[in-house]
Amino acid sequence: MNNDLRSILDQQLQQQTRRHFFERCGIGVGAVALQQLLAQSGLGAFSETNPLAPKQPHFPPKAKRVIFLFMAGGPSQLDMLDYKPALNKLNGQPIPQSYVEGKRFAFMDSSHRINLLGTRRTFAQYGETGSWVSDLLPHTAKIVDDLTFIRTCKTDLFNHAPAKLFMNAGTGQFGRPSMGAWLTYGLGSECNDLPGFVVLQSGPRGPRGGAILWGSGMLPSTYQGVPLRNKGEPILNLTTPEQVTEEKQIEVIRAVRQLNSMRLEQTGDDEISTRINAYEMAYRMQSSAPDLMDTSDETQETLDLYGIKDPKESTFARNCLLARRLAERGVRFIQLYHTNWDHHGGPTENLEKHLPEISKEIDQPCAGLVKDLQRRGLLEDTIVIWGGEFGRTPMGEVRESTGRNHHIDAFTMWFAGGGFKPGVSYGETDEFGFGPIDQSVHVRDIHATVLHLLGLNHERLSVRSQGLDFRLTGVLPARVVREVLV
Amino acid sequence: MKDMPPLPRRSLIYALVGLWAFAGGASLSADDELRFNRDVRPLLSEYCLACHGFDATKREAGLRLDVREGAIEELDSGEVAIRPGKPEESELIKRILSHDEGSVMPPPETGKKLTQAQKETLLRWVREGAKYEPHWAFAKPQPQTPPADPRFAGDFGNPIDAFIHQKLEQRGLKPSSRAAAETLIRRVHLDLVGLPPTPAEVREFCDDYASRGLTAYRERVDKLLQSPHYGEKWGRWWLDQARYADSHGYSIDAPRSIWPYRDWVIQALNRNMPFDQFTVEQLAGDLLPKPTSSQIVATGFHRNTQINQEGGVDPEQFRIESVFDRVATTGTVFLGLTIGCAQCHNHKFDPITQKEYYQLFAFFNNQDEPEHTLFPDGIDAASLKKEREQTLRLLDDAIRPYESKLEEWEMGLAKEEQEKLPKPVKDALKVDSRKRSALQRATLFAAGISKNAQSEKTESSIAELQNKVREIDRELSKGVNTLVLREKPEGRKSTVFIQGDFTRPDEPVQPGVPGVLHAMSVEGKEKYDRLDLAKWIVSPDNPLTARVIVNRVWQVYFGKGIVETENDFGLQSAVPTHPELLDWLAVQFMKDGWSLKDLHRQIVCSDTYTRSSLVRDDLLDVDRDNYLLARQQRLRLDAELVRDVGLAASGLLSPKLGGAPVFPPIPDGVMTQGQVKREWKVSQGEDRYRRGVYTFIYRATPPPSLNVFDAPEGNSSCTRRNRSNTPLQALTLLNDAAFVEFAGALSKIIERDGLEVAFQRCTSRKPTEPELAVLSQLDPFSAARVLLNLDETLTRE
Repeated sequence: MNNDLRSILDQQLQQQTRRHFFERCGIGVGAVALQQLLAQSGLGAFSETNPLAPKQPHFPPKAKRVIFLFMAGGPSQLDMLDYKPALNKLNGQPIPQSYVEGKRFAFMDSSHRINLLGTRRTFAQYGETGSWVSDLLPHTAKIVDDLTFIRTCKTDLFNHAPAKLFMNAGTGQFGRPSMGAWLTYGLGSECNDLPGFVVLQSGPRGPRGGAILWGSGMLPSTYQGVPLRNKGEPILNLTTPEQVTEEKQIEVIRAVRQLNSMRLEQTGDDEISTRINAYEMAYRMQSSAPDLMDTSDETQETLDLYGIKDPKESTFARNCLLARRLAERGVRFIQLYHTNWDHHGGPTENLEKHLPEISKEIDQPCAGLVKDLQRRGLLEDTIVIWGGEFGRTPMGEVRESTGRNHHIDAFTMWFAGGGFKPGVSYGETDEFGFGPIDQSVHVRDIHATVLHLLGLNHERLSVRSQGLDFRLTGVLPARVVREVLV
Repeated sequence: MKDMPPLPRRSLIYALVGLWAFAGGASLSADDELRFNRDVRPLLSEYCLACHGFDATKREAGLRLDVREGAIEELDSGEVAIRPGKPEESELIKRILSHDEGSVMPPPETGKKLTQAQKETLLRWVREGAKYEPHWAFAKPQPQTPPADPRFAGDFGNPIDAFIHQKLEQRGLKPSSRAAAETLIRRVHLDLVGLPPTPAEVREFCDDYASRGLTAYRERVDKLLQSPHYGEKWGRWWLDQARYADSHGYSIDAPRSIWPYRDWVIQALNRNMPFDQFTVEQLAGDLLPKPTSSQIVATGFHRNTQINQEGGVDPEQFRIESVFDRVATTGTVFLGLTIGCAQCHNHKFDPITQKEYYQLFAFFNNQDEPEHTLFPDGIDAASLKKEREQTLRLLDDAIRPYESKLEEWEMGLAKEEQEKLPKPVKDALKVDSRKRSALQRATLFAAGISKNAQSEKTESSIAELQNKVREIDRELSKGVNTLVLREKPEGRKSTVFIQGDFTRPDEPVQPGVPGVLHAMSVEGKEKYDRLDLAKWIVSPDNPLTARVIVNRVWQVYFGKGIVETENDFGLQSAVPTHPELLDWLAVQFMKDGWSLKDLHRQIVCSDTYTRSSLVRDDLLDVDRDNYLLARQQRLRLDAELVRDVGLAASGLLSPKLGGAPVFPPIPDGVMTQGQVKREWKVSQGEDRYRRGVYTFIYRATPPPSLNVFDAPEGNSSCTRRNRSNTPLQALTLLNDAAFVEFAGALSKIIERDGLEVAFQRCTSRKPTEPELAVLSQLDPFSAARVLLNLDETLTRE
């Protein structure tokens, strides 16, 4: 064979090899920043095979990590953050037909109604920015100047599980990676004794959709979110079995390593070195995760800041504190789910009683987290996101008590730190808070913006599957909302 | 291409000179033919076709490069993208060589960049006349003659080896030698039945192999293909593609009963049902003439879609979501095409229009989604139901004379008396007296009248009839439900949906198939149905299905397919590493009557399959990832097999086949991760130790020990599993209660039979001295834990 053709074939082979390598190992972006990990792990050549090794972003990032406070169920922006006096004036009147013409809603065949519902809450303006906040969020009200509000968030799907998937994975379709998986795939992890993507839960039940919300889709399970539990072992199977002493456990791990190393020598298969690495990290996790969960080294002042009464109790407040501890340890993506925000007006989910209760559960902890990150210098490179899978309608529902239906045209989320411009309110909704009158911000735009702050171009962070390049932001246009960035 | 001022001619000439210098253009010789499909199409597809391809709505500058006519035609701008033979007059060449950010192709904002060598390929292609070929996968596989060179024949005389060896020879590579006997037997056991051989089996085989060589191996293969565990191992391969799981998914994720479909798959594979029939029964069993119960169960394939039970959903929206899923899954699984991409717009890369998508959609838009009840052998449900009706009529007649007495008794019942009555009686009383069933009236009769009935005969005959109905009901309750498809007598109308949005119907469509593939024609039929589609898929004229399936079987044995993009054979697909071999296998598969077992035998009885998997230094630079298959590949076992090997090694494995899914122990707290906390009542007895394929899969809370080893949750079709290698896997093997239990059992074996036997049970080989030295320092339980954690135990070598 002539040299030229050989070089063409080689080229092709390399291309395929690389493609396979990308798929398998996820080293899809930039160069591998090995030095840092090598220094930390002292493992030399083995680290080459660690798929979670830190990677270079596409361009210098503003932020290094994300804390996503996910208010599962869809919080009512109209009773908390988006003040609409017209709703109260026209309480009980039907919303003009032009607003709802051709729109679809959840519960169309049962409790959905078109009569406007005024808020029962009292709103006031706070901070230098004069942001409107209701009496449900007195602590949040004190930090409005540190927050970036986007009041015209928009999503495509109005049922809980599909919408949650949409907020996480940019699509209602199954089998795609969630945002946390994308980030650990794109950037690796800066923490070598905890997972790169951690999920914490609080509230009466798990979020609708379950594990798929933090799934890795077509990416290897290396990148999927790991639930950290407040009760029992923090990570499944983290604890050495009861009948095994620590000495024995170390003996076992050491022997596994010895035998695996011998096999590595016999076979030359890199995968064995990856496995040896994985056991090292597993062992480190066995001590680092309980350390993380043990908050006894926190001062009373800090506990008070978050509003933690009993530090042992599994609450959203404790999870906020854990989020800061995870951020300190370099975990890339930290997601907190708090249920249940689905205030339709049923006997256990109404605006009169249950919205105030749950608001109280999250208000001080959220504000405490932002302040704590700030005073520790972490807010600079940590993005905090607050929001649900959608918002709620200006119209009330007909159920046993007062409630609102799911709403996707415009709802409020707030962001802090990591390059978001503090004290900004972006996007304005119409007099009823139904739709945007300017600057609609789609979930895709939010994703593009967050990736941008982390140094990633959302059009370049992709994975090849089925012959196609999949992206968090999909194929429809998405834009970085530069107006809200520093 | 965007409208741009033409590049100055000078800079192009410099660029061309530079490129030739780089590629050594002068040395090109005429017999090194550039092949469009292998060398050029992947470049066009990757770098050009998203904007200059099949989809007219997204076509830039009116240029289309997927067909030659488009490429050589004069554009509105007056330029010509490709002037065959004249690269210097071809705009495409100018643009790819341009250094100007505004005019270079592909545009910098796509993040894509051609390498020098790729530019050289395109240049050479244009210079040599810009010949196009039809996409290989859309042309029928052609019969291939294996290379005849006797050096390539191999020990098995298997044509596979001739193809593989020829390519190795061309690259100057020598294949590895055959793997050791104990590696071979473990490999073929794990690959065919998913269980390791016992130490006795290993010994027996090694002796047999030493004396009879490959004959011993072939006989072992035949024996394994007859094992009922074959269906369990390869059933899981199919269930991945069928997106099987045991719950409805989405937020409520209630359990569902569809395991009879899982058993159908396992049994069909065990019986070696021809793959064409296997396909037809799953896609359209209900439409076969006088379908058997088993053929109806088979339609569960397309009932593995999720059902959204959360409040406030529009059922039509999620019905259509299921239909979308069925179209996409059919495309991926049987055609290896990303048809789902054309749901909202014409396909970007493949010649599939949005309208054609909805023609396929129309096949799947006409079904009801009922349950089908299966009865154990010996229960004839139809005659039992008939008998039940007759008995009820007799019962009715027998009670009628006592109507007024019953009424009297009821009227006379005091409240406190009523309270004391047994529950069935109270329930019957709650029903409006005119609406009570014969059974309910019989219950009341027994409670109120029979004590002082006039005739003991009547009384006993009523009781008898009542008992008979109860008995029949007991028999009928032994039925198991499973989800199936049933064609609706009157068709739903199908239309194109604008942007894939079901609230925006557009042009009406009839069932039909994409024009790029073979035609569908059934004589005397005007409107096609799912059965026609199924038969069209397994038609010998179909260029795709046989190739797709043999490739997907191949990848299980070697870690990747001959076409690496196992779920995309379209224009974006990877070029086959051995195209002639792929065609040979596909043609042979169809010739063998679509026999999967013959295909397995063909592959595993080859030199290529039986080679050593040891990594070779001399291959690292030339073929690090083993595309050319000079050696075998070490592969981490699939999730279920990690469990199965642990169970088998520790002697706990239950070999029981089929039946309802089981609930082996899982860590506390797993089931609270979803919206609704589902019960996980740990199975007792042997069901605690069943193979992984039988573990109950909740989609929202998948069993963690399977999940960490990349088992799919059944949310979408999975055609190739990831093989991740993570700390959570280490934690599972070290600490999970199930593996601790396996270790306990294995430690007893160590105590009884010694370390060597235990080591063999895990790896099928004897430990070396240094290995034994490490293990013998440990107590039996620790040693057992070590063995179950070894990379080798989890790996098929």
